[in-house]
Amino acid sequence: MHIPDGVLNPYVCALTYITSAIFLFWAWRKMKATYPRAVVPLLAMSSAFVFAAQMLNFPIAYGTSGHLVGGTFLATLLGPHAAILSMTIVLLIQAIFFADGGISTFGANILNMAIIGAVSFYFVKIVSGSSTNRKRFLASVFAASWLSVVLGALLCGIEIGVSPTFASAGGLLVTVPAMLFWHIIIGVGEAAITTSLISQLVRVRPTVLNGLAILGWNIR
Amino acid sequence: MKDSAKILLAVIVGLTILLPLASTYPDGLETIAQNAGIKETEGLWHGLMPNYNFPHIENSYFSTLASGLAGIFLVFVFTFLVGRMSTRKR
Repeated sequence: MHIPDGVLNPYVCALTYITSAIFLFWAWRKMKATYPRAVVPLLAMSSAFVFAAQMLNFPIAYGTSGHLVGGTFLATLLGPHAAILSMTIVLLIQAIFFADGGISTFGANILNMAIIGAVSFYFVKIVSGSSTNRKRFLASVFAASWLSVVLGALLCGIEIGVSPTFASAGGLLVTVPAMLFWHIIIGVGEAAITTSLISQLVRVRPTVLNGLAILGWNIR
Repeated sequence: MKDSAKILLAVIVGLTILLPLASTYPDGLETIAQNAGIKETEGLWHGLMPNYNFPHIENSYFSTLASGLAGIFLVFVFTFLVGRMSTRKR
């Protein structure tokens, strides 16, 4: 879902840069206020894991593949604020060193993957926040991670659809359904990977979700 | 800190094993761009390791693996530094 340079129109680039900057500012402020330095190793490791996982594309159908984005995974381990920061760094390294995702489209990529992915965790919080039911928690993680990919793809479809590059191909009417089609399938992979990772982590190390207590969230 | 090293090692081993199994098909967005007949524009920036290939390594597996290890290292270090800056001391 990484948008390369030269695909988006300048207004979309500017708007997505501004939106992402606002969210990054919010995430930074919250981290500065509440996160202790002790989470830093977990933060760095999880980012490194997500970077590696994003290199591993899985085939879906008709000669197309997808890979884990990891926003919901990070947010479940670290909370949405830290997840935004961590995911933004993954995207930054990808853009600078690997030209995976453009520089002018960096704001859009942060919005579609880092912010949507991280904010998707509020779904988990709302649906299973006060419940002690493990199955309910995992089901909400599954749903949130699927939603994060589909919503990210929807945004991406809109961003590329209103840009001149895709105008001759049919614009929004083509890009939005096409992005949704692929990512409804890719999202199932995202959800399956995220949910099995989280359930294994919780099984092996039940204290792994304690990080969220930093935010005053009692999620089990 | 011991746990960190273990997990980092697991990530590296996992990548080494799973990399040959990774699909080389285009992803959803790339498929759409191809179907729309959009050629990848010659951007201003090509990155230091374009397409996850480490410079001067001929073998494609080792080239991608080396770039992956470099990426893991860069992401880890950078997140560590930003993490230190963005968290409270105590």
